[in-house]
Amino acid sequence: MASARLTPNGVGAALAGDTNLRPIVQVVNLRCVNVDGKGTPRSDRWRGLVSDGAETCPAMFAGQLSDLARSGLIRRGSVVQLDEYVINMVGGRRVIVVLNLTVLLAECDIIGNPVITPESESSNQNNPRVEQFNGTRQYGLAAGNPSPTRPNGNVPVFQPSVSGSSLNTPTRLSDKSPVFQPTAQPSYRPAPSYKNQGAIAKNEAPARIIPISSLNPYQGRWAIKGRVTAKGDIRRYHNAKGEGKVFNFDLLDSDGGEIRVACFNTQLDRFYEVVEVGKVYVVSRGNLKPVQRNYNHLNSEWEITLERDSSVDLCPDENSSIPSQQFNFRPISEIEDTPTGTILDIIGVAISVSPSTTVQKKNGTETLKRMIGLKDMSGRSVDLTMWGDFCNREGSQLQEMVERGVFPVLGVKTGRVNDFNGKCVGTISSSQLLIDPDLSEAHTLRQWFDGGGRDASTQSISRDHTPSASRNEVRMTVAKIKDDGLGMGDKPDWVTVKASIIFFKSDNFCYTACPTKEGDRQCNKKVTKGTSGLWVCDKCDKEFPECDYRYLLQLQIQDHSGTTWVTAFQETAQELLGCSALELVTYKENGDPRFAETMLSCLFKDYLLRLKVKEETYSDERRVKNTLVKVERFDPAAESRYLLDLLSRLVASY
Amino acid sequence: MDTSAPSPFVNGETLKTFLGRRVRTVVQVQHNEGGVLLGLSTDGHQLTIRGASGAPEPPHYIEVIGIADSSLSIRAESCTDFGENFDGVAFNGLCKLANDKYNYLFL
Repeated sequence: MASARLTPNGVGAALAGDTNLRPIVQVVNLRCVNVDGKGTPRSDRWRGLVSDGAETCPAMFAGQLSDLARSGLIRRGSVVQLDEYVINMVGGRRVIVVLNLTVLLAECDIIGNPVITPESESSNQNNPRVEQFNGTRQYGLAAGNPSPTRPNGNVPVFQPSVSGSSLNTPTRLSDKSPVFQPTAQPSYRPAPSYKNQGAIAKNEAPARIIPISSLNPYQGRWAIKGRVTAKGDIRRYHNAKGEGKVFNFDLLDSDGGEIRVACFNTQLDRFYEVVEVGKVYVVSRGNLKPVQRNYNHLNSEWEITLERDSSVDLCPDENSSIPSQQFNFRPISEIEDTPTGTILDIIGVAISVSPSTTVQKKNGTETLKRMIGLKDMSGRSVDLTMWGDFCNREGSQLQEMVERGVFPVLGVKTGRVNDFNGKCVGTISSSQLLIDPDLSEAHTLRQWFDGGGRDASTQSISRDHTPSASRNEVRMTVAKIKDDGLGMGDKPDWVTVKASIIFFKSDNFCYTACPTKEGDRQCNKKVTKGTSGLWVCDKCDKEFPECDYRYLLQLQIQDHSGTTWVTAFQETAQELLGCSALELVTYKENGDPRFAETMLSCLFKDYLLRLKVKEETYSDERRVKNTLVKVERFDPAAESRYLLDLLSRLVASY
Repeated sequence: MDTSAPSPFVNGETLKTFLGRRVRTVVQVQHNEGGVLLGLSTDGHQLTIRGASGAPEPPHYIEVIGIADSSLSIRAESCTDFGENFDGVAFNGLCKLANDKYNYLFL
């Protein structure tokens, strides 16, 4: 039998609050309890006893682990490593709530002589066993390993000060004493106050205030205290249950824990006016749900939905122990290697502001867009793309300042990294833009900028701004597109080839398109001639006497390495041939010699062709499709300079 | 191509290293009088070209093949009109390459 080594005193240390220990324990008892989930079907939960070979303690397994227990992967005798867990008080006893575990041995004889106490036994705080845990708190503790309750990648810019007046116990800042403080067991706890008013006694004392980072769905009564860092607008929605409205606000507590709170309908009416940005509130009771990372980038794994018995109480006398905002500013140079979609905070000097432009979104509606050039001390600059309301609010203010020759510091909280012509950062709905904020980073940046940083050369990581000569265009040969397997990835590859056109497919060079306009956008779907002799669009469900003609031109290109097929759509084909699809159709129908001349005039001439290479599936057949996105007439002088530049870089690399 | 009598690419700077030998360069015509032509090399030196009768007027570019008389003059054997639209920067880059580390790649 494989040897199983249980973590000595693992149970004791875990109960004492060490949630990073990841002890190896043995399940010595396991049973299923049914719980009534609110609004969900009855679900089973598993609870039992875990042992470290000497001591045991009750354990509850989180819902996501039920499958493991039901399938028998965890059973009596299993040796498991507790990867993630919290300690809770249940009925006066400490219980390990296991959130995540690894099964090391599915079956094993009971190791050692654990003291197995019947699970139903009600023990209290004065149980000698509990005393024993407290007495051995520091056992097995790696010295100098201050243990945050939850790994937190953020380095808070503001070091939250440990405030004596704060009711909650800072669990993460006690670097001096390596004693573990129980995660969900702060020193302050209101005495239970039971009112004897009916059959059921209810503890009506205020719930204890705990750090946001130790919130978990397995606690019924809790309270958190935090400053509102952001408050969303009221959003109205419509779903299967009908219409509703919701608003969110974000809380930050003195330990740097953040969480989003959502208030729907009745709760919105109760709390919308109450909640103000910058003020401190105690929030108690609510439903915890796993965070949806698409929308929420706070450091908590949970989101709170307030309910009927929730409360949000203003703390008027709150001091500055809770910062008003938490930033995790990253140097611009780091964004270069940051994957698209990452949410981050940046701060930089606004050196350029473009005018607002209107762009069309995918759903056909229009929005505003503005580009701000930001630079910082990392020697890089980046484009910040502002969307929507930001353009007229902060955007106009910035533009006015930059035009006056004042270059303001701009802090961006919650920006999203995009990959569009290089890396840039865009605003999202929960972004916040701070012009000349009163932060140490802003002051440092200002000093640097005024003391010479203004003239320091920076390299843009948003390729849009680099001159076309050094633009990072990937030059390829035709053969290399196939040889390198371009277009097989998730994203299309963009390459430029110098090639000539050797063949046009002249019989089907265009299609009949729907001319319906929705706003500025044309439908452009293929239309067919109906029985009535009119053109019919299936999408718009309309008929027209005349239709549009749009290019869908297949052509073959060749360079010294080989040939390949390329598709050119409307704009590029028109640019290439120098006439519209309708003109060409007319030439063809009339037997006009210009039809052939138009195409012949483009044959065997050199072009710089920018291609989008992407594998696509046509009726179960996958093949790489090259789409022409830009045509440039070949310019020998520019090409010579390009080659010289290429050669000089090549020579320099040897 | 006659490889027995090569005419290396030169600009104003490298002309002096080929004194008495046949070279090939491109200059922009500045002044042309009585068979003596003043031309601006692609790296900004003023060169005197002798025997360039029938050369075009400024601001045409001409290719000159001839013997390097001195560090700033060439006795032309042939002149070719390259027109007005010529990229001196690219030609200058070519001259540098032809007289650099990899000159053995050039005639």
